[in-house]
Amino acid sequence: MASQTVPPLKLDAPEALSLDSVSLWQITRRRLLRRKSSIVGMVILAILIVIALTAQWIAPYSPTLSMLDTTPAQNIQKRSPPCIHMFGCAQDQPEHFMGTDGNLRDEFSRMLYGARLSLMIGLSTVSFAIVIGTILGALAGYFGGWVDNAIMRIMDVLLAFPSLLLAIAIVTVLGPGLINALLAIGIVSIPAYARVVRGSVLSVREMDYVSASRALGGNTYEILFKRILPNALTPLIVQGTLGIASAILDAAALSFLGLGAQPPTPEWGAMLGSERNQVFTAPHLVFYPGLAIMLTVLAFNLLGDGLRDALDPRLAHIS
Amino acid sequence: MKRNISVLLSLIVLAGLMLAACGTPATEAPAAATEAPAATEAPAAYEGMKVEAASCDYGGEFKSIEAVDASTVKITLCVPDPAFPSKIAFTSFAVQPAEYLESTGGNGDLLEKPIGTGPYMVDSWVRGDQLILTANPNYWGEKPADSTLVFKWSTESAQRLLELQSGTVDGIDNVGPDDFATVQGDSNLALYTRPALNIMYIGFNNNPQVEGFDNTKNPLANEKVRQAIAMGIDRQRIVDNFYPAGSEVADYFTPCAIPNGCIGDKWYGFDAAAAKALLTEAGYPDGFETVLNYRDVVRGYLPDPNVVAQDLQAQLKENLNITLKIEVMESGAYLAAADAGQLQGLYMLGWGADYPDQTNFLGYHFGAGASKQFGDKFDDITSALDSGAQLASDAERAPFYEAANNAIRTHVPMIPVAHGGSAVAFKASVTGAHASPLGNENFSVMSNGGDTFVWMQNAEPISLYCADETDGESLRACEAVTQSLLGYETGGTAVEPVLAESYEASADLTEWTFHLRPGVLFSDGSTLDANDVVTSLSVQWDAANPLHTGNTGAFSYWSGLFGAFLNAPAQ
Repeated sequence: MASQTVPPLKLDAPEALSLDSVSLWQITRRRLLRRKSSIVGMVILAILIVIALTAQWIAPYSPTLSMLDTTPAQNIQKRSPPCIHMFGCAQDQPEHFMGTDGNLRDEFSRMLYGARLSLMIGLSTVSFAIVIGTILGALAGYFGGWVDNAIMRIMDVLLAFPSLLLAIAIVTVLGPGLINALLAIGIVSIPAYARVVRGSVLSVREMDYVSASRALGGNTYEILFKRILPNALTPLIVQGTLGIASAILDAAALSFLGLGAQPPTPEWGAMLGSERNQVFTAPHLVFYPGLAIMLTVLAFNLLGDGLRDALDPRLAHIS
Repeated sequence: MKRNISVLLSLIVLAGLMLAACGTPATEAPAAATEAPAATEAPAAYEGMKVEAASCDYGGEFKSIEAVDASTVKITLCVPDPAFPSKIAFTSFAVQPAEYLESTGGNGDLLEKPIGTGPYMVDSWVRGDQLILTANPNYWGEKPADSTLVFKWSTESAQRLLELQSGTVDGIDNVGPDDFATVQGDSNLALYTRPALNIMYIGFNNNPQVEGFDNTKNPLANEKVRQAIAMGIDRQRIVDNFYPAGSEVADYFTPCAIPNGCIGDKWYGFDAAAAKALLTEAGYPDGFETVLNYRDVVRGYLPDPNVVAQDLQAQLKENLNITLKIEVMESGAYLAAADAGQLQGLYMLGWGADYPDQTNFLGYHFGAGASKQFGDKFDDITSALDSGAQLASDAERAPFYEAANNAIRTHVPMIPVAHGGSAVAFKASVTGAHASPLGNENFSVMSNGGDTFVWMQNAEPISLYCADETDGESLRACEAVTQSLLGYETGGTAVEPVLAESYEASADLTEWTFHLRPGVLFSDGSTLDANDVVTSLSVQWDAANPLHTGNTGAFSYWSGLFGAFLNAPAQ
């Protein structure tokens, strides 16, 4: 019998060139960077992170300082339009890049601090929801039976309500405030993560390496958290990135309604809500917070979409 | 001759018969005349109602309300009250059919479908959307210029203005302070300013324990703390920055345009250092945390509540290190909580004149019958107000109102902040447009040239049984439907006859007799009589009356203006 030589596997460059030495994350990064929309999302996000981290140095005023407090009083009016000397604003007027709000606070400074708050809101609520959702989803998926039934039926109940409506109900019970709003958004986000993790665990737990680990006497904790979960996290990352966007949006909505961040906290939704009546007389006070919310949500959505595509092996040829 | 005699006799007999024939009515006339009283005795048989207090010891102003006959009502007071016509003219004391009040049990349909004698009657009320009134076919006065009146509402001044500019409404209430110039610069619109007959104040609940809260050590129960806060707020800064033209800092609770409003010592001037020292003396050198409550609705006395609340928050933090947590409440719940003394901490509220008298400002808020909104009452304030209210001339009343103003300044149950200027706006084409200093615009004289007049105000009426409402948005709607014995002139404050054609008072101003206008029908077709008046007033006065239920059961105007309820449950 003539021996057959198996031809070497040919893969598209550049992944194929270094398949042996390239990790999944490196591949993902490369795929991500090939998508222009992902890059746009990451750039916006990077700018927001820089702003959030450096707000106290780049903001010209304290976000809660009313110009009425300054001595001597500055020659400005409440809800004044942006004043930038370079663009023709009178030199005797103090510069306010985005104008002032109804309480004569510098809108630009509040916007900068608002970025910090929005990122904190998104990350903290999603982190909370991921931790709880992952634990619940993993337990449901791994143990199955009544544990699965009990946990997932509770999740189904939570999913039966529109998330924002449920968040409003929770805040109504807990009382208005940023912390309570974060808690409410975190709670209503849990089911999405629990379902994703449960689905992943269900598929992974039947893998050979998990059976092998079980046969070798691995305990439940070790199998679940060291063997199964690390291999079930990919969809969770995508869900989490997209979840940050919706968490920021929900928090802004709650603050707009007066249920989230309370005055004088510089939260974009609250800023939008408190100046909503000035949409015609001082449109900049509605425009800037609205634009910031839109850009932030867009950034996370673009990044989330990119990550989803990059982590999906079925879409590798597309990218 | 014999023939002549017989002819003469015949003529005499004939004449006698003719006289008899002509005289029959003459002789029957007395009979008819005696029957006539029998016919007019029906009113004499009229079973007029009378509700009377056994004595005046119960603490209220009313002694009795009596239907003397079908068209005469006599009200006897325990004490003289020169302001009584102004008070009884108020919307809360409107008259509805006694049978209707009884059929509703004092609430139910009564809250949404009042039966009145006004120019309009309720057609439909879609909660959350609009209230539609149609012309009352039985109205005794001049028919409304437009046959349909629609009330709409929006809490957003920007939306109200947009609706007016787009032509979907004919008039709006409370133009946003920043929108005055916009309206004045638009030739299609007309701005009507209201005199600042109002007061915006920061209230305190001075009770050590506030019902519903674990607040056993309420710093606001300490008079020095309240005085420190009074000195620690720069009210001029608030008025200068957040109020429209025509507004002024309030040095007294009552506007100066009202007799005896501004006598006594002026309010505390802003002095942050003295305020801090006083707070330290009171035992709070490092300040404390509390809440600032308000409702996010625009009123003439508070045109921009959000920014004022945030400025107060900033001022108290900076000047006294008092941390305010802002809490916004729904309007109806907020008013109910304030009346019941359930608001914790500080709160922003205000008052617009119902009639131009001190009893409507100081008497209503700080008198013996006032609500619990400021917590425990102060005897020196209530006694001065009681005495002042019983005197007829402004000069006689002056020393008592001066004493009351000074006592209020000492005890600081609230801080008067501003008398707010405000304005309404209409399409320029609207005829009869006006702004009322009392906030009770008369829509029946306004016309847009069509059949339907649309008015947009700040908020939806809470209910249309205004005996148990205090909110201006409810009162304005009620005034189009129901009427009191007396009323206020269109666009002014003078009292004029409405359901009572005339009235007179005894020399000591304790007996008031009202003569009802004849032929007045309610919108349901029933006839107004004295028992309707007695019933409408007594269900408010008598707490034991089964119809004394209303929307919340508070009947704040009654107790605020006339003191204690009859048969009030023991505290």
